[in-house]
This record gives sequence, C-alpha cells and structure tokens, in this order.
Amino acid sequence: MSLIIKHLFIPTKSLCANFQQPLVRNITRYSTKSPVISSNNVLNSLTDWETLNKKKKVSKAMKAYLERAQEHDDFMKRQQFEYNIGKRHLANMMGEDPETFTQKDVDRAIEYLFPSGIYDPAARPLMKPPEEIFPARKAAEFDEAGRPHHYLFYTGKPNFFKVMFDAAENIQLSYIFEDKVLRKKATPDPDGTLNLSSSVWLTKDQLEQMLVENITDLEYDNFKLVMERLASLPYAYRHKEFIEKFRKSLGSQRFALEIPKPSYDDNGRAFITTYECLRKKARGDVTLRSPGTGKITINGKDLTYFDDIQSREQVVFPLIFTGMQDKVDVECNIEGGGPSGQAGAIRWGIAWSLRSFVDTDMLQRMQVAGLLTRDNRRRERKKPGQPGARKKATWKKR
Amino acid sequence: MLSRNWRHLCRRYSQAVTFRTNENSPAQQNDKQVGLFYTVNPDLCKQLFSHGGFPKSFMKQTKTFTETAIMVRQPALDLINCIRASDMDQPAIRYVLYGEKGTGKSLTLAHLLHYAHEDGFLIVHVPWVSEWLRRITRHKEMSNSQTREGLVDLPLDAAAWLIHFKSQNQKLLKSGNLKTNKEYVWSKREKTEVGSPLSDLVELGINRVKYACDVIDALVDEIKILSNNKQCKTFVAIDGFNSFFYPLTRLNTPTKRKVEPDEVTLTSSFMKITKNDWKNGVIVVTADELSVPEEHHESYLPRYLLYKKGFEHLDPFVPIQINRYSDKEFMTCVSYYRDRLWLRGPTEIEMELKFTSASNPYKFMEQCAPL
Repeated sequence: MSLIIKHLFIPTKSLCANFQQPLVRNITRYSTKSPVISSNNVLNSLTDWETLNKKKKVSKAMKAYLERAQEHDDFMKRQQFEYNIGKRHLANMMGEDPETFTQKDVDRAIEYLFPSGIYDPAARPLMKPPEEIFPARKAAEFDEAGRPHHYLFYTGKPNFFKVMFDAAENIQLSYIFEDKVLRKKATPDPDGTLNLSSSVWLTKDQLEQMLVENITDLEYDNFKLVMERLASLPYAYRHKEFIEKFRKSLGSQRFALEIPKPSYDDNGRAFITTYECLRKKARGDVTLRSPGTGKITINGKDLTYFDDIQSREQVVFPLIFTGMQDKVDVECNIEGGGPSGQAGAIRWGIAWSLRSFVDTDMLQRMQVAGLLTRDNRRRERKKPGQPGARKKATWKKR
Repeated sequence: MLSRNWRHLCRRYSQAVTFRTNENSPAQQNDKQVGLFYTVNPDLCKQLFSHGGFPKSFMKQTKTFTETAIMVRQPALDLINCIRASDMDQPAIRYVLYGEKGTGKSLTLAHLLHYAHEDGFLIVHVPWVSEWLRRITRHKEMSNSQTREGLVDLPLDAAAWLIHFKSQNQKLLKSGNLKTNKEYVWSKREKTEVGSPLSDLVELGINRVKYACDVIDALVDEIKILSNNKQCKTFVAIDGFNSFFYPLTRLNTPTKRKVEPDEVTLTSSFMKITKNDWKNGVIVVTADELSVPEEHHESYLPRYLLYKKGFEHLDPFVPIQINRYSDKEFMTCVSYYRDRLWLRGPTEIEMELKFTSASNPYKFMEQCAPL
C-alpha cells in the first residue's frame, strides 16, 4: 500500500514542488487513516524515504573516490585475470600441470623462454602477480559526508605524522616515568632491556611502503632522529613494541636458513662440507673437521699455497675471529680466479661451515662482522674509448 | 730514566731462562738445548764470518740486535753427532742440506762451521757460490786461464776467497804444521818449494792475484794430501752448491760467449774437493733454490736442484732436510724477538703471525720488522 503511495507521490513532488507541503500532509493523513495497518508501519515508510534523501547527499570527493576505487578494482581484476590466463598458457607451453604451476615455475619459464643478456636484473622480462607490480592504494580516508576519519588528515601525510606524534608522546611518557622512579613512586622492571644491536631502523623505502605515503629525505631524517632519541632513553624498553615496529632485524632471514648438522666420518670426527664457495672467478669447496689441530690444506698444500700475506690472513680470519684456530682442520679444493678471489672464497666457505660449530651468540657476531655475507662483486668490463673500466686517458690539450 | 732501564733489565732477565741457553759451545750442546738461542762470541764471529757466511738479512739483524744469536736446531745437532760418530779413516761423507726458502740452511751451516772451528777442523768454506757465478758486479774481473786451456779465471773472487780462508784458519796456519808436499812453479822467478808452510801458498795467492785461481787449485790438492796423511782434519762447507750445476752462469767472456760453470777454474777445484776420494774430512753442501734463477724454483728437492750431473757427482750422500719452525721453536723465537723489542704488541698477534708466516723463519723475521 505504501509503495503505491510513493509511486503516486514522487512524480507529483517533482512536478509541483510548490504544493509539496500541503499535499504531503493531506496524503499522509489520508493514508494513515484509510488502511487498518498500525501507525508504526507508516512511520517506517517515512524514515525509508528520509534515508533515501540522505544518500543523495554523498560528497563530491567521496563520489570521485568511489569512482576511482571502482576503476582500480576493475583494473586489478582484469590484470589478475590476464595473469591467470598467462600463467596457464605458460604452464601449457612448458608442458606442466597448470593447476600446480607456482610463481617460481613462472619465473623459471620466463627465464627459459625469454633469455636475456641484459645486465640489470630489473630490466629483464618478468611476469609477476599484479599486486606485486602495482603499488597498493590507500583505503578511503573520509566518510560519506566527506569528513576525514583521521585527525591528521589535513597534514597530507597522516600516517607519517601519527608515527611522529606517537614517538613524541612515548618520549614524554618515558620522562614522566623517569620522574616517578626518581621520586620512588614507581619501580622499573629489572629485566627490562632493549637490545638494538641486532637490528637496524627501516630504510626510507621500507618506511614508505609501511606507511603507504611518500616522505621526503628531511622527513625521514626527522623520523630517525626522534626514534633514536626515544631508543636512547633509559626506560625505552617500556615502548619496546612501538620501537620494534620500525626496526628490521639483521640476521633474521639469514638464520632462518637451516644450519646443517655435521656428519661423522670413520674416525668419529664431525665434518661438514660447504660446496659452491664463490668469489670473483674462484669456485671451490671447503671441508671442516672437528676436533682438529688447525691444519689447513689448500689443494694439497698448506697455507704456503698463497704467497702473499693478505690472502693468508683472509683464509685465517674466520678461524681467529671465532677462536677455533686450533680446534678444527680445514681442507679446501679451489680453482679458477686469482689468489685474492680464491682466498675470499675459502674465507666464506670456512665461515659458512663454522656455523655448525659455534653458538648463536658467535653466529650473531660473525654476521655483524660480515663473515657470512657473500661478496658478489665481479670484474667490471672495459669500456670502449677508454683504457679501463673507469680510467680515462690522460687529458691532453691538443 | 734509570727506573725505565731497570724495568727493561728486569724484564729481560725474567725471560732469559725461557729462550736462551748459556751453552755457547756447539760441541757441548745436546737435545736439551733444542729450540734455544746461543750467542756467538763477537771476536769469533768476526774471524769466521766477516767475509760472508751469514745471509745478508741475518747480518742486518745481528747489527740491530747487537749480538749474533743462533738457534740450536735438530738437524745441526744430528749432523754434529753424525760427524762425531763417523769413522775418519773412511772416505769423506757428504751431507746435503736442503729445504724450502728461508728455513735456515745457511744458518745451520754457520752453526756447523762454529762447531768445526771449535773441534779444530781445517775449514774450507765457500759462503755463496752464486757470488762467483751469478752475481755480476761492475768490477767483475775475468781472464782466460794461463795454465788450463779454454777455462776462465776469476782472480779477484779467488783472492777474496783466499783471504776468507786465511782468516777462518788463522790458528792452524800460524802453527806451521801444515807443509806443502809438492813444488809449484808459478813463473821464472816465483815458485813454492816442497815443505814450505801452507800459509805461504795462501799469501802468494793473495799478493799475486794473477795466480789466485791456480793457488786455490794447488791448495785443494795439498789439503787433500794433508788430510790423507792425518796432518789435519778438514771440514768442507759450500753454500748454494747447486749453482755449480746450473747449465749456464751469467758470466760472459770478452768475446760475448756465455760461460758454463764447468769452464770456470774455481768450479773444477771445488769439484775436486767434493769428491770422496780422500779421507779424514767432512763435506757439507747446501742445495738452495735461491742460487738459481727464479724460473727454476719449482722444487726444493736435491734431485731437482742438483740436476742429474750434480746428483751423480755427489752420490752417495746423506740428505738432511731443514724444516720450518716447530711450535716450540716458534715460541722461543717469539720470546727472543720480544726480548730484543723486535716484536711488540698483544700476545694475540703471535697466533696470527704463525699463520701468515706459516712458521717460516725468514718470513717470520720479515713480518715482525714493522711491528
């Protein structure tokens, strides 16, 4: 019944806006009286009309945002669809099951089908899921009436400034707490410590990704300044959670890798072999045996395999650093490259094998000392028109 | 200032027990002194080694340390025991010292020379053969031999060696017991009679440089005869002996012809004395990589360095390898260097130095220099 009234009524409203008020009154009166339905129902029908009216009040900003969001969603959906199709094609081309074709297989297939000699890996052909390639977008920052959710919306970078405000507030809280401790109204946690040695602050890029906002170098410097200050306070451990959010641990991904358990040979000595010790053009493998006496064998010779002191020091450094110089025996087979490359490869191999024989604390220190990092530098090519990779001919006037 | 000196003195004497031995006579040394340093009397040092015998770098070090300290090492002790135990009536035994570069062959030889001097041997010592055959100084003098056709004389080198011989055997030559058994006619006016003292022969070679090479040849013959007659016992020590067998020397004749070692008169003389056709003598030679050019440094073994010819010339011989420092020797050397303030700094560097020098004595000495 009410629906009918509405249908009747809407055109009249639009046509004769002037008479709207009295007419409505009449009709409503009429309608309320004529049927035998409860007055509640009638009221409902009235609110319905009002919300409809409110919906029309969507702000222009909101409208534009919704349009953009819709567009982006469609785009992403299309991209996702194309990606899935492409993946299936690839799987068929490679003769594998499309259902179990993973991203890893995709990368492999692309490398196989589009071999590229381009030096920079970023410039080589790739096929990734669209969410990795297209940057994430912020969700709506304001409600339907166009009013921002965030109280710092008008700074332009609400997330960033929120972090800064929080940091400042934590600093203040720390000060207050310190005062309390001095007045003996509060007791600090005796076990509370903040260990920052094994992690670093997020880099600018990482921070930008986290906040979904672009920040300038100056702003990043300010961020670091504030965070350093907070971290340097004596009771900073109380804001550990907040601080940890902006730190990335140094060794996390490295030690997530499995450290192999040593195997045992006929004499009951633990040994571990690291293959693929690389540096420059040198390739080789290193075997560590424990317990040992510090005997080093390189291609069947002892340390005199290297003539220069520097190479010998390179080989010995991980052993001396960990204090294992007379507890293990080292055997290496190495070929290719020159002395410094070979020495570097052996150094890495020894350090990598030593992981199985040292405790986590030493592991952490080895990590910080750079023993577990591969040196992936290579010889730089010579450029035409100049005598070396970087060197230029002597400038001569004429 | 005074207190500082006291401190130094105290430090020195507190360590003195660990690395030094007071047994300064090689004849008395035994296994207890292995790895310890003993000091050579400066006067004796001057007498034995003033014309060579120590490597140059070691000479420099003795000057820095203001003393000549030699480490008592196992090969030297073994050799001394061997010499004592051997029967002097049998043909002379030949010992060949060999080892890697810088392990102390020359110093072992110097140690043995000290022993030979104490034991009353007549010493025939060639400090460094390459000095004659491979080192070309600006004033290198060469002449064709008068007596032997097609051979080359090195008169100045020969005279210098005679001076060395004279100073090393001062005592024996002065005593006048050694007399010549043959007559040598040098020219119309000059000749050496039968029964004239050996020192006259040496003096003649020094004064008349022209005949120096022939004098050496005669001297070698005389020494062999004297030894056979038991008038003296002889200790022959030649450092860098393999230089005699390297196919070429660096010498050129005035006609720009390359000279082979066999064509040098000195070579033939010292070949004679290293043969084992005489008695009452000891022959110690070293085979050293450093006495041949760098392209032949592939191996330090005598067979490689002496070539087939030298090997057959010396065969049979007793090879004695000189090794790098053992752990104990290395530690005494460290404390000696610390005493001489040649090595300073924390004790951790010793371990590192041991690795980087691979316990090679020469390398170790060199690497301590800037520390």
